Amino acid sequence: MKDLLFKRFIQLIMVAWGVGTLTFILMRSLPGDMAYRLAASRYGQDNFDSSTAELIRHELKLDQSAWSAYFSWLGDLLQLNLGNSMVSDLPVMDTLSHMLGHSLLLAGVGMIIAILLAFPLGLWAAKYGGWADRLTLLFSTSVRALPVFVIGVLLILVFSLELELLPVAGFGTPAHLILPSLALAISLAAVSSRIIRNEAKRVFNSSFFEFAQIKGLSTRKAFQRHGWRNLLVPVIAFFAIQLITVVEGVVMIESLFSWPGIGHGLAHAIFARDIPIIQGAALLMGIMFVVLNTLVDIISYYLDPRIKQEFSE
Amino acid sequence: MMYTEANSPPTPTFRPTNRVKKAFRSATSQQWFGFAILATLLIFSFLAPHFVSVDGAEQDLGAILTSPNAEHWLGTDHFGRSMWVRLADAIALSFGLAALCVLTASTAGIALGVLSAWFPTRFGKVVELLTTILLALPGLVLVLIFAAIVPGSFWMLYFAIALIQWVEYYRVVRAICQPLIHSPEMEASQLMGFGRWYCFKRHLLPAILPQVLTIAAFGAANAILMMASLGFVYVGIQPPLAELGLMTVELFPYYSDAPWLLAEPLVSLAAMVLGCQLLGRRNA
Amino acid sequence: MSLLNISNVSVYVGDTQLLAPVTLTLQEGERLTILGQTGSGKSLLAQAIMGNLPKALTRRGQIDLFGKTNLSLKEQKAMWGKQISMLPQEPWNSLDPLMSAERQLTDTEYYVAGKTWSTALSDSLAKLKKLGLGHIGQKRVDQLSGGMAQRVAIACATAGGAKLVIADEPTKGLDVSRRDQVVASLKEQTEGGALLTITHDVAVARQLPGKLMVVKNGRVVEQGESNDILSNPAHDFTKALIEADPLQWPNSENLASSQEKLISADAISVKRGKQTLFNGLSLDIHKNEVVGIVGDSGCGKSTLGDALLGLLPVESGCVVKHEETQPQRWQKLYQDPTASVTHSVSLQTLLEDLIKLHKLDASKATPLMKRLGLTHELMQRTASEVSGGELQRFCLLRALMLEPVFLFADEPTSRLDPLTQKDVSELLVQVAKEQGCSVVLVSHDPNMIEKRCDRVIRL
Repeated sequence: MKDLLFKRFIQLIMVAWGVGTLTFILMRSLPGDMAYRLAASRYGQDNFDSSTAELIRHELKLDQSAWSAYFSWLGDLLQLNLGNSMVSDLPVMDTLSHMLGHSLLLAGVGMIIAILLAFPLGLWAAKYGGWADRLTLLFSTSVRALPVFVIGVLLILVFSLELELLPVAGFGTPAHLILPSLALAISLAAVSSRIIRNEAKRVFNSSFFEFAQIKGLSTRKAFQRHGWRNLLVPVIAFFAIQLITVVEGVVMIESLFSWPGIGHGLAHAIFARDIPIIQGAALLMGIMFVVLNTLVDIISYYLDPRIKQEFSE
Repeated sequence: MMYTEANSPPTPTFRPTNRVKKAFRSATSQQWFGFAILATLLIFSFLAPHFVSVDGAEQDLGAILTSPNAEHWLGTDHFGRSMWVRLADAIALSFGLAALCVLTASTAGIALGVLSAWFPTRFGKVVELLTTILLALPGLVLVLIFAAIVPGSFWMLYFAIALIQWVEYYRVVRAICQPLIHSPEMEASQLMGFGRWYCFKRHLLPAILPQVLTIAAFGAANAILMMASLGFVYVGIQPPLAELGLMTVELFPYYSDAPWLLAEPLVSLAAMVLGCQLLGRRNA
Repeated sequence: MSLLNISNVSVYVGDTQLLAPVTLTLQEGERLTILGQTGSGKSLLAQAIMGNLPKALTRRGQIDLFGKTNLSLKEQKAMWGKQISMLPQEPWNSLDPLMSAERQLTDTEYYVAGKTWSTALSDSLAKLKKLGLGHIGQKRVDQLSGGMAQRVAIACATAGGAKLVIADEPTKGLDVSRRDQVVASLKEQTEGGALLTITHDVAVARQLPGKLMVVKNGRVVEQGESNDILSNPAHDFTKALIEADPLQWPNSENLASSQEKLISADAISVKRGKQTLFNGLSLDIHKNEVVGIVGDSGCGKSTLGDALLGLLPVESGCVVKHEETQPQRWQKLYQDPTASVTHSVSLQTLLEDLIKLHKLDASKATPLMKRLGLTHELMQRTASEVSGGELQRFCLLRALMLEPVFLFADEPTSRLDPLTQKDVSELLVQVAKEQGCSVVLVSHDPNMIEKRCDRVIRL
């Protein structure tokens, strides 16, 4: 367990360092005067002068040498000081920690709904085959062809604009949470329901499941004793891969529904060239990614004795 | 057939062209369907602009949000631009990006995957470190950061998407090659004196090719999705260029007046992605 | 009481008959062994009796179990574990990969035999100890050897109290000593009940006294008392099967091998992973001699050969080749022919590749092919489209094309069925001797080595 957490901790540091360095390099390596470009794109070509550019230059430490700027930035990062937003001038950390809570709420509810959708669908398709299988395949194939924002747009069209049941966008009441989390859940369940179906079929057709019945267990008992865990181990491992989709989905859905989370913040910051916020948001999303991965690791660790052994050796 | 007796029948040997033929023969109906969708869209995107005299940037503020008619077969948008032409442009742009990304990412991924399986200590470790950094962030976030630096640049998008996509090829190729390099079949070939290029050609390439084709099909779908996603949050391709995600967000406000306009880019996008995904689906 | 009574049971896929009608009865306390080659439909009979045929197949004829006639599949399933049970062919895949051996056995005692948890636990511990598996109770199947896993499976299958046990190829893939252990456990655990064993291995049939039935291509060719048939077979097929058992092979004629050394190992020790497999081993291989190496799996037989060929580094000591030849004249034959040939192109192309690479005399191929029984038609196929025996002969052809001085054959026939095993191993030794090539032949089967080799090294 310790080794596992240590491995993830190393990854966390790599993320922080990697994201920071990447944004740093990209900012520095571009042709032309970055401060002028930023000022121009922020205030419009005609509405800025050299003093605004100087201000930006100083804020981003563009007036220092590359190495000293880099190390002072790393030092700030170690103290969790991400600087101030260039738009609102509020500390980046405060702004982002607020957003992170909202994003986690959306991601969490979305994943729970996805699990509630995917397991029954997948098991149903695996158990009965035939039409059940083809229907879920059709659902999965058509949803997978849609980017997550299109699913969101369709939900808005149907439930908000046509039926007028739910708010179009925004944040505040539980009703605001329904459509965004549902959009996320549908896009996740489209893939995971098929994985669950495949793994369930693998278990149902496996020699060990048959032998469990041959040695005298009823089908139900065999599934309880030998089916579930063998089904869950690969499915949980798949969830870890799907976390990428979760984070990407959150970015898109937040922008669509104006959900005040970190993805929305990132898109806005990119639009407004707010570099400290971009750095901070990317950093936090990377961290969120690692944390979620760690959770999946811990669950797998307890489900699969083979992993436990691997780490104890 | 150098040594066969004169009376033995001349039988064709197995060559790459045969392999292509074999792939066609073994294609599933789903793969054919996907192929048909993509072919139709591709032909449309190339030929459509030649049927009409306007180009995609031409505005006609006197005829905005028109429904499909004899002059504008798919209607006009909020600036009175021909949707027929703009849609063709947008689809061509998506195909172009997908093709470039697949070519670059697969070439780099296969090369690095094979090399790091072959030289795990010298080469493999460096590449592994690189992928750990790249995989530390979800792909879309990485592409967003790149897009933030040079907004609206097609080439930056291409570079960023290819940069995250080669990792998938690399990982699969390496995973297949690693056991293969120590397998009896390769050991046997090496004992018989065959060199590395032969081993690549006869042992590694045939083993990775089916997998690579699948990844390529899904990679193309992902590249298209990613560009549309970025367009949708206004950090991808910038107006006035036509891009499917951007068109969606531009036309969304006119949903109640002209729902067909919103449907057009959405359906095209879904069809392209579906086509790629079906093409990549093999018999399990 | 007759536990099993089947009359005219046959198996069909659609209208195609896969198994010709079989009639047999089995009384309490009886053993019946069905002997035949792989792929002759024996497994289908086991599945038909058990009631777990794949969905696409249908069964015809009548099966009575424990005096009950006209059983539906559901009724048959209700008898599983408690009255009728079956051993898996592949124990490795048949035990739950996530659960310890002891837990799986205790589960069966608790849920099927209906004991209390504490009795179930102590009974299963006692049973494992009795099977000589007391130390592996906490291990999972991936930590067990094939033979251990099969003995755990035997314990699980019989824990529910089933009187009638069907064992379908219970010794598949096990080496000789482990095979004998499994058969002994099987005999012991089914004492008093009835046992129906299906095997391709004459040695297994020999160890299970009782009735014997010989099957060829889904048809029964001979049946009767096991001892009678095995000592006095009437049908040609039975004779061939018995002769395929290495014990019955004629001794190889000892052609004069020279005393000139070809390759020597001088006090070598070799590691595989972290484990040192042998230490300070010395041996000489002479020109044109066939040397056998025997030992249980895991003792380092293959490693020794790889060390001689220079495929593995030696930790200490040295390997000396006494003849300066091109490297490609030191060749190896692999245990699994399908894993040692690429499936991407036809065998013909592979042969042409080899001829082109070393600028070999292509006209040599045709007589060699004839000698090895390889046709031009066969050569147009890929490795996936030919049988294991054919593929192993192709591997031999490729090796021989290079005019080898030394051939290391690593269990080259263990994946082949007995009849093919006999042919291929005979061909290998004969052709190698004709060509003046030294052979190091590795096998877990001491009988086979005894018959094929001039000299035997035991590890």
